[in-house]
Amino acid sequence: MNCKDINQAIIEGSASSWSPEAEEHLRTCARCRELAGTLKVPVPADLPSPTVLREIERGLVADLRPVRPIPPKRYIFVSMMAIFIATAVLGLSRFGAFAIAAMTPLQTGAIFGALAISAGLLAYSLVNQMVPGSRYRVPPGRMPLVVMILLMVSVAVLFQFQHERSFWFRAWVCIQGGTPVAAFAAVALWLVLRRGAILSPIMTGGATGLLAGLAGTTALGIHCPNLDAWHILVSHLGVAVLGAVAGLVVGWAVENRKLIRRP
Amino acid sequence: MERYQQADPEAPAVLVSALSPSLLRFFRSQSATLGQAEDLLQDTWLRIHRVRHTYRPDEPVLPWIYAIARRVRVDGYRRSRRIDSHETAMEALPEWPAEDKPRHAPPVFEALVAALPEAQREVITMLKVGGLSLEEVARATSSTAGAVKQKAHRGYDRLRKLLRSYAEAAGGAQ
Repeated sequence: MNCKDINQAIIEGSASSWSPEAEEHLRTCARCRELAGTLKVPVPADLPSPTVLREIERGLVADLRPVRPIPPKRYIFVSMMAIFIATAVLGLSRFGAFAIAAMTPLQTGAIFGALAISAGLLAYSLVNQMVPGSRYRVPPGRMPLVVMILLMVSVAVLFQFQHERSFWFRAWVCIQGGTPVAAFAAVALWLVLRRGAILSPIMTGGATGLLAGLAGTTALGIHCPNLDAWHILVSHLGVAVLGAVAGLVVGWAVENRKLIRRP
Repeated sequence: MERYQQADPEAPAVLVSALSPSLLRFFRSQSATLGQAEDLLQDTWLRIHRVRHTYRPDEPVLPWIYAIARRVRVDGYRRSRRIDSHETAMEALPEWPAEDKPRHAPPVFEALVAALPEAQREVITMLKVGGLSLEEVARATSSTAGAVKQKAHRGYDRLRKLLRSYAEAAGGAQ
């Protein structure tokens, strides 16, 4: 047994009754003995004053009325994905689907598969962010980064990098087309999100903006027949990035307004 | 918690009396004075009340409560830092004379964890003071159990070093 195993025992809460091996290590290791001794000392138990407790109870009882618990996660997830698909289809009905004919079946399947997985991951993360104390497999702060890397790698692998004329003009046209779709999706997503408890508006804002932006990216992916990888990265994924940045800014404003409002 | 959601008038008192002491200890261990900790406690219950519909009966209650408490603490810290920065600009408080500070006092848990980086301090406080499991701390901090374990390991390693330096300082003083 070594110091790391003692750490493990403390973390797992088995420090109240040490195993014989742990006791042997504690006899020989002064540093672990000191640590175990300090952690055994109870933290001074300041109790909240009865006045404060009464005040809290009074405040809660005064505004007590039955509440309907938030719907199950799967329903919220499905509604977010429905918003994603509906807004992408709505955008598509306005622009037309010219890219499908230009892409190979492999490109079509892979890029829309990647977009669907990305949207699913973001929606799942957002569902968890609506409920405090949810379980995460990927920390919510990292999820947008994971999604962006997945999509950028997919585009770089599936499409060829070319040097096209009037690159920035074409990119601007696509960004202008995709942004309203993203904005529409963002408003619809916000209607779902406000039912939850958003503890970190900046993080949630970024993820929501990215998901909304991906609706615009998907609409552009089906519509735009320009298969240059640079064009897709800059203009189609650019809509998603713009959405994420806008979400971060809105989240920052919400978080700081909350702080300023309560001096 | 379910009774609280259904507006049972006795539920708030039961919840508040059961959970407030550990929440107060959580805030106290995060370097808050008793007054600040009580303010944070009140803020936490207000926020819990506002979002009580987001608790799901099939989920553990402690991570839900501590996730909210943690956020209240972060907001409170940012608010007080903002206020402090305004106040120190106008008037700098004098330092305590060095003689008044207890030298080589025996390290207590609170004093020790106060020297840890925030993420490690938070994890160790939840584990040792809140009595949460690794999985529950991971849920409360929007993290993974692996990441929490790593922070706790690093925190305990750092605590060992701190204890050693305390012991050496005390030995040198004698």
